Amino acid sequence: MDHNWPYVAAGYGITAGAVGAYSVWLLARLRRTRRSLPDLPDLPHLP
Amino acid sequence: MNTIKRVPWLGAAVVVSLAATALMALVIAPSDASQGDAQRLMYLHVPAAWLAYLAFAVTAIASVLWLVPRTRSITWDLLAGASAEVGVLFTGLTLAMGSIWGRPIWGSWWEWDARLTTTAVLFFLYLGYLALRRAGGSPDARARRSALAALVAFVDVPIVHFSVNWFATLHQQGTVFNAKMQVEISGTMAATLVLAVIAFTLLYGYLVVRRMELLRLEEGFEERELARAIAERIAQESPEMPAGVEMETV
Amino acid sequence: MSERWAATSRLWRESVLVAGKDLRIEMRSRVAVQQILAFGAIVILLFAFALDPSRGLLPRVAPGLFWITVLLSALLAISRAFAVEAENGALDGLRMSGLDGAAVFLGKTAAIAVQLIVLEVVLAVGVFVLYDVRVVGLLALVPAALAATAGIAAAGTVYGALAGGLRQRETLIPLLVLPVVAPVMIGGTRAFEAALGGTTSQAWPWVQLLTVFAVVYVTMGVLAFGPLLEES
Repeated sequence: MDHNWPYVAAGYGITAGAVGAYSVWLLARLRRTRRSLPDLPDLPHLP
Repeated sequence: MNTIKRVPWLGAAVVVSLAATALMALVIAPSDASQGDAQRLMYLHVPAAWLAYLAFAVTAIASVLWLVPRTRSITWDLLAGASAEVGVLFTGLTLAMGSIWGRPIWGSWWEWDARLTTTAVLFFLYLGYLALRRAGGSPDARARRSALAALVAFVDVPIVHFSVNWFATLHQQGTVFNAKMQVEISGTMAATLVLAVIAFTLLYGYLVVRRMELLRLEEGFEERELARAIAERIAQESPEMPAGVEMETV
Repeated sequence: MSERWAATSRLWRESVLVAGKDLRIEMRSRVAVQQILAFGAIVILLFAFALDPSRGLLPRVAPGLFWITVLLSALLAISRAFAVEAENGALDGLRMSGLDGAAVFLGKTAAIAVQLIVLEVVLAVGVFVLYDVRVVGLLALVPAALAATAGIAAAGTVYGALAGGLRQRETLIPLLVLPVVAPVMIGGTRAFEAALGGTTSQAWPWVQLLTVFAVVYVTMGVLAFGPLLEES
């Protein structure tokens, strides 16, 4: 059944790619927005 | 900013747990007797599905908390929005993994499996909610509109599940096409699955916290832009008004 | 005890008031009768082109095509029901009229439901004629159609109110409404198949599902319209 590895690779690749892309976008956007707003107060303390 | 310092351990925990999961899922866990290595996709599909539904529940609960005047706080609105966005990511992954896992097992890229079909509807419920959030308006109006929409959609999920499930059993699809889920889970596989669920949940938590932060910042950004635009307008108009002019009363 | 009765009859009166207003607007403008009905009829025709009548597929899929057409037409009716208010700033008038939010919801839902029933009757005749549907039994059709229509109207009114004032409402309302009414699609089609095919006993469970959906969404609407109209 080893010929199923392409599917496994595709699955793990897509998952890593999607999660990675979203994370990169999010963190980059955060950095950019934070830089242009240095004087904002913090998020209210989360419970 | 303090928020980064508050949760640096979360980011590290996410990376570590995901790495451990990958190792377990791809190398250490045994392959299935009948499905071979394709069964390893279960370690992606099941956690993603868990989070797809958890994220929606979080959005719904946050919406309730916003709607109740005593507990109303912008934090709940931000949480609802952030959880929905991360949720739609996991819902998409659930569908994609379900499809890819199903292909070598069913022989086709899609079957109208009850759970998968319900997840497909969930995906579109998310999209609608997110589109509504972006349709503008004051933060308060947007929060109210979104909160109500989230609840209306959330109530639908059990009804959709029930009707799709019933429809599938009528056509005897339940037994045939759920074959991929009837994997016999040995000790190592169960442990890997639990680890995967934990890792993905931590990932969800991290992404939601960060996304909330971004939403909060962007809102502050908009407020500042608006305040600045108003200030400029006033500065432009006041030199044109001659001193001593009285307002006409109709 | 009499206080409850007074509140209920007031709710009923106000709902009828709102429904009457909406239906009167419709009767004067005739948009539903002329445009939405025509739209439904054209869709029925297009389905026939898409599915090649000569292959005998149409009678088998007629219930599904019928309900899809009803859903698409309902989107137009919902969009219109709230465009009318938003255009003339009438939404503010509604808010300040002192009418109970629940009454506004029930009235608007009833008006949309009435328009949909009229549409369904005409479309049903069209489908029967054009698709050469063999009818064995009709008994369960009416309850199924009523429950399904109530559900579509209720869910549609909620989302119509949420999105109706927005500029993007024409694309937002379909995106919001269609996934939510998926159970109505499933239940309505299966109920009609059973009803038309004579296996009426199989239709009743689906009618129950449709009724549950309608009850849930009428309740949601009644609860949600208060907070909804609150917004500034």
